[in-house]
Amino acid sequence: MKYALFLGCTIQSEEFGYEASVREVLPALGVELLDMKGASCCGFPAFSSISKLGWHYLSARNMAIAEEMGFDLLPLCNGCHLSFIETIHYMETDPDLKEIINSNLEKEGLSYNSKCRVVHLLEVLHDNVKPAKIRSSVTHPLNGIKLATHTGCHALRPSSLQKIDDPEQPQKLDELIRALGAETFDYPEKNDCCGSQLSVASGVSTLKIAGEKLNAVKSYGFEGLVTTCPFCFKMFDGRQRAIRGVLKDRSLQVPVFYYTQLLGLAMGLKPERLGLQLNQSLDDEIIMKIRGEQND
Amino acid sequence: MTKPILVIGGGVAGMQASLDLADRGFKVHLVEKSPSIGGVMAQLDKTFPTMDCSICILAPKMIECSRHPNITIHTLTKVQRVEGTIGNFDVNLLTEPRFVDEEKCTGCGLCSSKCPTKLSDEWQEGLTNRKAVGVMFPQAVPLKAYIDSEHCLYFQKGICQVCSKVCPAGAIDYEQKPKETDINCSSIIIATGFKDYDPTELGEYGYGRYPNVLTAMEFERLVCASGPTGGHLERPSDHKLSHRIAFIQCVGSRSHKKAYPFCSSVCCVYATKEAVLVKEHDPASEVTIFYMDLKVYGQGFQQFVDRAQDHYGVEYIRGRPGEIRMNPITKDLAIWYEDTNTGKVSEKKVDLAVLCTTMISRPENADLAKILGLELDEWGFFKPKNHLLNPIESEIPGIFLCGCCHGPRDIPESVAEASGTAALAAEVARR
Repeated sequence: MKYALFLGCTIQSEEFGYEASVREVLPALGVELLDMKGASCCGFPAFSSISKLGWHYLSARNMAIAEEMGFDLLPLCNGCHLSFIETIHYMETDPDLKEIINSNLEKEGLSYNSKCRVVHLLEVLHDNVKPAKIRSSVTHPLNGIKLATHTGCHALRPSSLQKIDDPEQPQKLDELIRALGAETFDYPEKNDCCGSQLSVASGVSTLKIAGEKLNAVKSYGFEGLVTTCPFCFKMFDGRQRAIRGVLKDRSLQVPVFYYTQLLGLAMGLKPERLGLQLNQSLDDEIIMKIRGEQND
Repeated sequence: MTKPILVIGGGVAGMQASLDLADRGFKVHLVEKSPSIGGVMAQLDKTFPTMDCSICILAPKMIECSRHPNITIHTLTKVQRVEGTIGNFDVNLLTEPRFVDEEKCTGCGLCSSKCPTKLSDEWQEGLTNRKAVGVMFPQAVPLKAYIDSEHCLYFQKGICQVCSKVCPAGAIDYEQKPKETDINCSSIIIATGFKDYDPTELGEYGYGRYPNVLTAMEFERLVCASGPTGGHLERPSDHKLSHRIAFIQCVGSRSHKKAYPFCSSVCCVYATKEAVLVKEHDPASEVTIFYMDLKVYGQGFQQFVDRAQDHYGVEYIRGRPGEIRMNPITKDLAIWYEDTNTGKVSEKKVDLAVLCTTMISRPENADLAKILGLELDEWGFFKPKNHLLNPIESEIPGIFLCGCCHGPRDIPESVAEASGTAALAAEVARR
């Protein structure tokens, strides 16, 4: 399995722990990641709000680079993934758009020929690597720790385009978590948005939305929250202090992880190699609980 | 001597057609694929809008069918071949073995009490278990046991035979073989009925995942005195009595995204009936019906809805809920909806949610249509010759349609159509 790895803006500017953990665990599972020369922003959501053409051009450009490399494109971010999926949809339903974009790509010697397949990290791990293989690569199981899943809106909607998982009852991340020896179960707020899309319009609303989800996660006895989207992660992890401020609730503490970080821990990798020191919502206790019990 | 008439389907429509013809002196062969006649109406608790006990109306008709000298009931039977034309149809029937001698069986039920094999009871909508041998339901006609050979230990593994040891009448007969019957009849009445829509594919409502989300048919069994809880509204997750109950209408119907675009034509009124039943069980219950439009056009239906609202205090909210959520610890449900009269989005917390599913065509219609040379519409219902002027006649002269075999309809309409087809069949027979 070889993929052109698309990092996107959020990961390269803020979410280093995600990249670090992905680069540690995927090759160990036989997934080869190839860096893309000259990749840019996917165009979403900053560009899409002012220029649809600019957005689709940027997405198509990155897919054209992957096509030239000859590999399927693996974006790590839900937002980037949907941006590519939507761009493919618009270009396939509007040949004129495809032609305009290709005439501009030509200037760089690039072209988009509908060959690039865009895959999601959950598809790579669940459908290609498969939970059974992950289970067999686990050396340090997570001891039944209870973790809530957050697949994230952009990976599930619009359901007519995004076909990663069941839009109403996503289960792939759940199965992957169980493969690590952790526990998870459905909860009512599972598909609720992290709120980050509203952050430009209303900072307080966005924090309240994320806070409601964290509160819910805590109320069902989950010991942590797991996602694969850097945007959602940033909301729940990096902004958790701000959420506590807005909700005026100091007791609201929910450890947040990237799935690949937990996978790395379960494979016996050191927390530093997985960027866990960069997660702001973690305290030593939870790492101790995951690691300490293993060392005993 | 006139030729007999073939009626396919032993539900209320097929029985009504048979009785009408038999009372006029015509011989009728009534074919039913299951071990008992009665159909879906036998499973219902009450009928709308009069709130009569469903089985109390149906059982006398079932018994009348079995006792009528002019009616021959063929249970466990399918139509295999049909040749010929109006006035002269050659029909070949295939009767699956019951493995119980109908002459000897008294319907005592001892076999079923001793049978070690437990299976989900389809007649009770899977809310309880049945055995691999037994009578289909207490009012079954004929009141004879049958062996489900697909699950019986003797047929599957060659062991057990407990039923034959305990049967005081010696009625168990493992050697019975399928039987073919040839009939020459003057006309054929199709009354195959409907199938209940399975809402599992509508993930937003959580049917199949949430134990306290039921279909309306499951609710009929739950609320019925002959149901698995004796009529107590115990919700499946913890057997607590449910006091907050919501009904969601148009589940599987009037939808262009998934399921079916047509109207179920009954769920407005049956939801009202079921809501009133809850209120009659416990007037302090909070009962809500989520509807899109109230299509209550039948005789007395509007007054029935008015009474549910004004007298019983059933709450009607105009809006199609977007989602049902379940608390993983308490298993309580929260229904998310927009009240389209006010534009407000809210959530309603309930103990039990009932999905008012639509009627869809019977899967067996496809085979039967091929055998008869008839066409089905795009949803698998039989096509009438002309919707306006020949609504109960098929394209082929001498083959008639009544009840839900040609689209969703309620009991009064099915019965009226049944009498209509009986009149048409009588006309053919007299020629």
